[in-house]
Amino acid sequence: MNIVVCLKQIPDLQQIRIKDRRPLLEGAPLIFGDMDKSALEEAVRIKEKAKGTKVTALAMGGAKLKDGIKEALAIGADEAVLLMDPPFAGSDTMGTARALAKAIEKLGEHDLILCGEGSTDNYSGQVGPRLAELLDLPQITYVRELEIEGNKLKAVRNMEESFEVVETELPALVTVADEINQPRLASLRDILKAARKPVQEWTAADLGLSEDEVGAKGSAIETVSNLAPEQERKQVVFKGDLDEVTENLINALTKEGVLGR
Amino acid sequence: MGDCTDKMDVIVVGAGLAGLSTAYFLADAGLDVLVVERGDFPGSKNVTGGRIYLNPVRDLFPDLWEQAPLERHVTRERLTMMARESATTVELQSERFNRQPYHSYTILRAKFDRWFADRVAEKGAFLIPKNKVDDLVFEGGRVAGIVADGDEIHADVVVAADGILSLMAEKAGLREKQQPRHFAVSMKEVIELPRQTIEDRFNLEGDQGLAQLFFGELTQGMMGGGFLYTNLESISLGLVVGVESLMERDPLQEVHPLMEAFKERPEIRVLLEGGEVVEYSAHVITEGGIHAMPKLFSDGMLVVGDAAGLGLNMLMTIRGMEYALASGAMAAQAIQRAKEKGDFSASTLAYYEELLKDSFVLKDMHTFRHALNILENPRLFNLYPQVVCDLFEKLMWIDSGPKEGLFSIVFGEVRSKLLSFSVLRDVLSFCKM
Amino acid sequence: MAIAMNVESKLGLDAFKLDEESHIHIKQGICKRDCKEKYCLFVCPAHLYSVNKESGDICVEFEGCLECGTCRIACRYGALEWEYPRGGFGVQFRFG
Repeated sequence: MNIVVCLKQIPDLQQIRIKDRRPLLEGAPLIFGDMDKSALEEAVRIKEKAKGTKVTALAMGGAKLKDGIKEALAIGADEAVLLMDPPFAGSDTMGTARALAKAIEKLGEHDLILCGEGSTDNYSGQVGPRLAELLDLPQITYVRELEIEGNKLKAVRNMEESFEVVETELPALVTVADEINQPRLASLRDILKAARKPVQEWTAADLGLSEDEVGAKGSAIETVSNLAPEQERKQVVFKGDLDEVTENLINALTKEGVLGR
Repeated sequence: MGDCTDKMDVIVVGAGLAGLSTAYFLADAGLDVLVVERGDFPGSKNVTGGRIYLNPVRDLFPDLWEQAPLERHVTRERLTMMARESATTVELQSERFNRQPYHSYTILRAKFDRWFADRVAEKGAFLIPKNKVDDLVFEGGRVAGIVADGDEIHADVVVAADGILSLMAEKAGLREKQQPRHFAVSMKEVIELPRQTIEDRFNLEGDQGLAQLFFGELTQGMMGGGFLYTNLESISLGLVVGVESLMERDPLQEVHPLMEAFKERPEIRVLLEGGEVVEYSAHVITEGGIHAMPKLFSDGMLVVGDAAGLGLNMLMTIRGMEYALASGAMAAQAIQRAKEKGDFSASTLAYYEELLKDSFVLKDMHTFRHALNILENPRLFNLYPQVVCDLFEKLMWIDSGPKEGLFSIVFGEVRSKLLSFSVLRDVLSFCKM
Repeated sequence: MAIAMNVESKLGLDAFKLDEESHIHIKQGICKRDCKEKYCLFVCPAHLYSVNKESGDICVEFEGCLECGTCRIACRYGALEWEYPRGGFGVQFRFG
């Protein structure tokens, strides 16, 4: 079985500072998003069960990707394809999906495409579904449990207040939720070994994509601003007798709608 | 990178300046080097006061400094003695310090080390962050590799570049438990201010910088002092106190409020106005000089930089980063020689110590061997700053009545406060610096 | 934000990667038997050590550890087993 896992490098959100409501991305190290890591982990788990499975890590991004992809290879991807080319820069979800779809077609036969349900930074949740459309594959989103037997795929989906169990046949595209597994950490030895795994770099031209189809030029969506929500703290302090204070606190929280819904 | 992942030529523990320097030269010489760093990226666990002197290491890295992300080149040097309600500052502003190549720079390590690590990777070293070395592998009494997360990775030489606490040197039996007497704790805040505000407030032109050291009342009689360095768009402000002094305080008091009290001083408060604290860090630093150094080598292992205790408080200047870079370079030289001989035993690696002895590193450590004794003298932190400030205050003060003659003021102060055997003894001890 | 700050708010400025398990282990027996001074309560620049009023145990809020090593050096009684946090965990300085 051939599995392709799509990964996106994002700034480490724990390392971002907010200044004047703007996130300062400069200097924040790049990592793979949590749900992307879960998608990779799931692929590696399937591989560990089903002999002869090949896992390809596919990612689009900047120069730091070359270093970052070592982690995916160390965790268990067999090979990596990196879409690192200036024309890709600034792609919106459609441009990204187009590039990934072309890359997956170029890779040849595939049985399962795994993505995170959304990236941990922008969280549009668009790339997976768009990719499925472009590749004309059945898609199952928000998956928290995944089972594969032969040609059959059974998945449990996160719905608002229920779970949905669905089945399909391979090939298919699945986007995973972070409940699906606890991704492993790459060990030092695995990272060293990963250095010998094959990594290919493809350009837009390699994929037969023109500059109008990907990147900022090929994007219909423009990010106008990116601001942190304003946090106004009320800074109320209750003082006095413990019973009285407790009651006042409960009243205040109820009034705010925090309690007693 | 060689083919065999189970055996490297050299494993460097820690991607600070010493470790990166070691790897830089070894990778350049074509050896297989693995650098293991426990932080998210090189520099993310490092704390420095904030200034690097380039002259001792300029020629070691001829291609490096031009592009390096350093902060401001220091042209103004201030030394401040703090008394209870007054402070006396001596300031040097020197054109010599403003001439290229610049003498010293302020520095933020999360920026610099990360950039330096990329240069080391370009040389061909394998650098792995987010991984911690838990232990050493011993084979027949020699260090033969590292243990990380249960995996053993072997190497001809392991270089301990894991900082002042060097758990590696400890595990290798190269030193005893560290003594409170030999260390101080440094607390530091990075405070953001607009570039222009910094330049106006400290009288700096362009990328010129200021470095200021403080001693006296701010440590309440304990061994230690303060520092202030101007970065491009922030100030590094810190306070250092001897660990043993803290432990001997009677009654014991918490250390962290000292930092706030320092910031509240009128001399400091005005410098920080409008600023925003963006980071709080702390680290122990060495005060023990040559007396706090571990053994520097054993079979299959070398110790470099802070891990080797290579840091000095010279009262007027605080040193460490140059020693880290230089010791790394010398460790690399010793390892290359051992590689040529095919012998990584202690007797071959001892060449590292010979190189250090012939260099400014151990010569400085020797010259300033009495620094600890001098620093342990409480009069340096309570009596002398107070006397200097009181004297200055009296000289400057005009009362309602007639003014006393200047010589008479000086003589009176000296006679009443400084005429004692202990002061005479102090003067003799200061001569040893 | 004001320039004057208490130590808890200062720690709030730093990036911490939280591990579930503490990298500092305290041998309570030694603390109770040998240590009168409780240096750890005073020397920590992050103010992480405290005494549990009921049990008398020494507690450490390891999550806010700046990894400075002061307590490791100041504990004369060898009551602290202090290792660095696992790789990729603990405080991550953005300025240093």
